[in-house]
Amino acid sequence: MTDRIKATTPPASTEISTARSAGSRAIIAIARNAFREAVRDRVLYNLVLFVLLLIAGSMFLGELSAGQESKIIVDLGLSAMLLFGVFIAIFVGVGLVYKEIERRTLYAILSKPIGRGQFLLGKYLGLGLTLLINVAIMGVGVSLALAYIHRGWDPLVLKIWPAILLIYFELMLLTGVALLFSSFSSPALSALMTFFVFIIGHFSGDLKSLASSAGNVAARALFRALYYLLPNLTHYSVITQTAHGIAPDAGAIGLAAAYTVVYSAVLLAAATLIFGRRNFK
Amino acid sequence: MKRNALLVIQIVVGLALGVALMRVMDSRQANAPAQFAEDSLYVKAATAKRMSLAFNGLAADWYWMRSLQYVGGKIVAFKDTHEGRMDFGNLADLDLRLLPSLLQMSTTLDPQFIAPYEYGATILPEINSDYAISLLETGIAANPNQWKLYQHLGYVYWQRNEYQKASEVYAAGAKIPDAPPWMAALSARMKAEGGSRDAARDVYRHLYESSSDPKVKDMVAKQLMRLDSLDHIEVLRKILAAYSEKNARCASSWLDVRNELRAARFQIDAMTNAPLDPSDTPYRLTEKGCNVDLSQYTLVPRR
Repeated sequence: MTDRIKATTPPASTEISTARSAGSRAIIAIARNAFREAVRDRVLYNLVLFVLLLIAGSMFLGELSAGQESKIIVDLGLSAMLLFGVFIAIFVGVGLVYKEIERRTLYAILSKPIGRGQFLLGKYLGLGLTLLINVAIMGVGVSLALAYIHRGWDPLVLKIWPAILLIYFELMLLTGVALLFSSFSSPALSALMTFFVFIIGHFSGDLKSLASSAGNVAARALFRALYYLLPNLTHYSVITQTAHGIAPDAGAIGLAAAYTVVYSAVLLAAATLIFGRRNFK
Repeated sequence: MKRNALLVIQIVVGLALGVALMRVMDSRQANAPAQFAEDSLYVKAATAKRMSLAFNGLAADWYWMRSLQYVGGKIVAFKDTHEGRMDFGNLADLDLRLLPSLLQMSTTLDPQFIAPYEYGATILPEINSDYAISLLETGIAANPNQWKLYQHLGYVYWQRNEYQKASEVYAAGAKIPDAPPWMAALSARMKAEGGSRDAARDVYRHLYESSSDPKVKDMVAKQLMRLDSLDHIEVLRKILAAYSEKNARCASSWLDVRNELRAARFQIDAMTNAPLDPSDTPYRLTEKGCNVDLSQYTLVPRR
């Protein structure tokens, strides 16, 4: 009898791996759904505006910039990429959870064997995929604009891609921030707070200097804590250097990638913690 | 249907009224006193850099293009009020009071942006060479390996007739690994004969060859034309003096010295027989044929 039970019951390790693969499938399904929803919401329409901006820039900058077309196209293209991406990360990001609650589809999802953390991770990855496609198409657009201006090959065509990767990392981090705020706040407030984090994230250098120059010990401690706790987005800002043909090295990109992964993991964990305590009954 | 038509009419009429109001406001602005015509940059460059977040490069480009438009607009306005004439050697007449701030803004936002330094080095000395020196010294501090900035700083000192200082700056630039050998040669020339026309020609020729900015190239090309015309005028004066000495009167027209002009290899205008200046405009006889000057229609700057 005992032997039969042993024979029919799968071993514990198999159970865990089955549960894991089911969990991964659920995350992928939610991510795919979040991506489809973004496409349905015409988020990728921003690409049209971006392309128009680049075409106009390529046509008229020669007249206005006195031989600096390539630099200005890179500045314009990558800055627009960051700006559009930030708007998508903020405005789509804050609606990821809220919309599911508003439409009551969240109840149907959570009634299935899907954890709240898995739900949030799926949403995060879905928006990440949307941003990745958005950024990749924009990158191709900037490369084509550079080739058009140069009437052929321009070394900047290759050098812009590390900067584009860093922009993508920054957007992923901001998506995590938006997701965290949206797990406990209204979309408007979440968008506002995420935007503030974006701004403060680019003032990290000032926070650091305040931490070392403030006269009060408590103020110094506060600024130092803020410097380390808030996301430091200055490490992702290499647009200006890239426009001069200086691409970030592999070490800088690797560190930025590691920072993005670690910080996003922290944000998602915090979002899961808060979201897990919410009562949807 | 009727309501929609009313709304469309409202939009069209509203837009037309908006355009009319804009035109009235523009005309009022155009009539404003000169001291109010230019708004100053109320944001300091360092503050603008902080406020620009990750977009400082784009903001620098904006201020760079604004600098070009500012100078271009002034030139157009000047030509409009001076029958299309503009002496590019005398930019002080343009009252470019905002240009130093615009260039400083652009270079503070993006210290590695070399074009505004080059542009400033060529234009700012016409307003105040201290501005140009300050801009270039900031540029050298931010880009110590850019020999072109040393070249421009040397040029500004040379324009101020500070040949010793110019020589030192060229020598410092010559020490940069990829600096061209003529930087050291220019340094030596500044020390030996900084004020000579040949030294000037060397300075302008190297500036022309090393610059990628078409506006800078244009201005330098005009200065090279001016040097050539100074050489021309010297020779022409000698020819005219020789003629008046030989004939006890000054030349009545260029025909009187046609053979001498040919011998001196001047290009001659087929209509007037006058020698042509470097911009292909005929020189004119002055002081009843005893002297020569550039024509009022020439493109050669007078200084």
